[in-house]
Amino acid sequence: MPSPVIETIGLTKAFPGVVANDRIDLEIRAGEIHAIVGENGAGKSTLMRILCGLYQPDLGEIRLRGVPTVIRDPRHAIKLGIGMVHQHFMLVDRFTVTENVILGAEGTRWGRLDRRAARRRILEICDRYGFDLDPDLAVEELSVGQQQRVEIVKVLYRGADIIIMDEPTAVLVPQEVQELFDNLRRLAKSGKTIIFISHKLDEVLDIADRITVLRGGRKVGTVKAQETDRRGLAEMMVGRPVLFSVDKEERAPGEPLLKVEGLSLKSGERYLLRDVSLEVRGGEIYGIAGVEGNGQTELVEVIMGLRRPTTGRILLAAQDVTGLPVGRVRGHGVSFVPEDRHRRGLILNMTVWENLFLGRHRARRLTAGPLLRRIVMLGEADELVQEYDIRVGSTGQPVSSLSGGNQQKVILARELAGQPRVIIASQPTRGLDVGAIEFVRQRLIAARAAGLAVLIVSADLEEVLALSDRIGVMYGGRLVKEVAASETTAQELGMYMLGSTTGAKEARDHVL
Amino acid sequence: MSYRRRLLELAAPLLALLFALLVGGIFLLAIGKDPLQVYLTMFRFNLSRLDSIGSILYKSTPLIFSGLAVAVGFRVGLFNIGVEGQYFIGALLASIVGFSLHGLPVWIHLPLVVLAGMLGGMLWAWLPIVLKLRRGAHEVITTIMMNHIAYALVLFFITSVFLDTEQEMVKGLGSPQVRMPKLLETARMPTMHGFLETLGIELPRHVYLNWFFPLGILLAVALFVMLWRAAYGYELRAVGGNPAAAETAGINTQRTMLSAFLLSGALAGLVGLSDLLGYFGYLDIDFPKGYGFTGIAVALLARNSMLGVILTAILFGFLRRGAEGVQAFEGVPMDTIVILEGVIILSIVVAVQIVNWYVRRQEKLMKRRQVTMERAGGD
Repeated sequence: MPSPVIETIGLTKAFPGVVANDRIDLEIRAGEIHAIVGENGAGKSTLMRILCGLYQPDLGEIRLRGVPTVIRDPRHAIKLGIGMVHQHFMLVDRFTVTENVILGAEGTRWGRLDRRAARRRILEICDRYGFDLDPDLAVEELSVGQQQRVEIVKVLYRGADIIIMDEPTAVLVPQEVQELFDNLRRLAKSGKTIIFISHKLDEVLDIADRITVLRGGRKVGTVKAQETDRRGLAEMMVGRPVLFSVDKEERAPGEPLLKVEGLSLKSGERYLLRDVSLEVRGGEIYGIAGVEGNGQTELVEVIMGLRRPTTGRILLAAQDVTGLPVGRVRGHGVSFVPEDRHRRGLILNMTVWENLFLGRHRARRLTAGPLLRRIVMLGEADELVQEYDIRVGSTGQPVSSLSGGNQQKVILARELAGQPRVIIASQPTRGLDVGAIEFVRQRLIAARAAGLAVLIVSADLEEVLALSDRIGVMYGGRLVKEVAASETTAQELGMYMLGSTTGAKEARDHVL
Repeated sequence: MSYRRRLLELAAPLLALLFALLVGGIFLLAIGKDPLQVYLTMFRFNLSRLDSIGSILYKSTPLIFSGLAVAVGFRVGLFNIGVEGQYFIGALLASIVGFSLHGLPVWIHLPLVVLAGMLGGMLWAWLPIVLKLRRGAHEVITTIMMNHIAYALVLFFITSVFLDTEQEMVKGLGSPQVRMPKLLETARMPTMHGFLETLGIELPRHVYLNWFFPLGILLAVALFVMLWRAAYGYELRAVGGNPAAAETAGINTQRTMLSAFLLSGALAGLVGLSDLLGYFGYLDIDFPKGYGFTGIAVALLARNSMLGVILTAILFGFLRRGAEGVQAFEGVPMDTIVILEGVIILSIVVAVQIVNWYVRRQEKLMKRRQVTMERAGGD
């Protein structure tokens, strides 16, 4: 049996209100791909932050190649050969690949940057592990998958032989995921150890040798990937059997409630949206798929009245709402779950109950003259907390003290309580754990069953496929394809997402 | 825990005050005074005399309005450094209305003068906020510039437009003051002497405590209610907390910012009126400056709490009255007390940080202890 390269014994780390890691015993062998899975809040990120020196454990020990070690800080971690690839890339767009790689580890010759030697070493690394990367291109010209490769090269350049990957597939399309996995396998074969954090079960089963499951800050167990399956893993993660398929009853769609006609949005000379037309009918879920940054955000913002379209019309139940301010658009029965909870969804320093009424606070039953009827509001807030199973001590707590899943429930409760006719939900389950995802999806399907028109935007293809009746793919600000969800596959959608209709290879070239 | 936390949070400003007195003591030693003696004189002078109490409240009056103006701005996420200029323009308009409208009864004229003051403040707040909303010009920059324009403009009006040329010289001696005409009697704010007498309090005549002080307290309470109970206050806090989320929820953020900033300006317009209508009775080139800037400190110390502003304003009034006392009886220059003011502001800011840090550490330790206990207990 290969010897463990990293071992943790009784690793414990507590934060106010939670024990994020509770006596974790972990054993990772040299040259393996070891996945760490768990719901949000299970303690994955904390564990990884301890391993790369960002946090110090409260209790417990880390043994590195058999030697008890204190990892003082990230710099020290990299010296010890532990490198981390973050989910959000830390790259300077304007710099070339080489410049990005050496940033912070610049080699100098006679006090001058030795770019040439660095470039040579980067080419060596790419060569050895079969990475396809041009060291002279600026990072802003690279695709997301290639940028991630830069991050990996960065870590290798610094001499890491243990690479921690934090949710690396969250930003990739299926084709790019396969490429990443090929690269990781080559790395592992040449002796590098890879720790792979994820909550996507299929991917973990595909790539990992062994899988460790965390739940509620504790380790549930470590299993070999060949000896388990999706269902088994999910049960370990959640602690109970999980339903995967989303049950949707067949339903004949009703009248079109939301209609978008020839919508374009120009910023300077650039088109952010170009001639987008679609309609969503009552009792229908329309999913918009696409790599982020292809106009989805803008489309939703234009519909909501947060931005004015350059041309085109927006109709709500046949009434023109183009160019109306948000409040008026909402007045027509539109609810909105924004993609970025913290930026657009919540007022973090206000309380849970105050957030539950944001935008609905002027309803007649909630006001008495200029004053708000607090007692009525507090009562209704308590009802919503019950109905939406929001885990909170008191609705008087600041909403910032809630976990991500509960924050999302606050938004969902608020947006659905207004009895809308149309719901627009951007990334409704992003960053949520399995239990919360199930809940949010069920709510959206219930809305569909109640005859509402639901428009969802999601970067998660599986989600779009599972929920939608029809799917539109956006690329470069255009709606390039519209299909019935039952007649397509993730692979096909992935192709359109890369802007091609003819094949993945060509798609890639096109992106470059 | 939360009870202890509350206690700590209350104790922090007091500890800071103590620390500030200590640092101030070093300065006093440096100029050869006995700090204990000076502080003792200050407290005795401030607390043992009725005229001192009245004076403290009188001196705190403009600071209440100015603190409220800044705090309202902060609550909506805007930094109104322009209170200074806004109260100058407010005083200018109030003065003009105050000396020019003859023949009105006091109950019409006085409110008109006060409204004119608020209008002046609003006017001077209007340009910066419109520039911000339309053009994105930062309010800190524009309001600072507006302050300087206001100083110059008021000077211009006093010296060149409304200079009072009909001043009577006693036996033709002396030189005329550079000031506007005196306000009419109907424009003067009555002092509180009469009212206090009915309560049996005999306030000395040389104290000018007037009805602006209770008005300030009333306004603070009204603003508190607005902020925490009214729909408008809720929107104001929402926009201040996260404008993007407020906008997404359908709140008209531009309108909220505009109205809140104008409200801040209107409050600022009241700052100079206690001095103008309750003491001087005319606007001259020596009209007191600086209330606007002190208001920032007042709001900061009160952590933008409307009711807290009352307390911190009175604290500043206390120091300023005390400065007069130690100057007269101990020969300590007033500037020493200005230093003390500065040190107090700094130490309170630091103390609050330290308490926050300490509380967080304590919570962490408690959690850790819990973990260890769970461990010991096994499961």
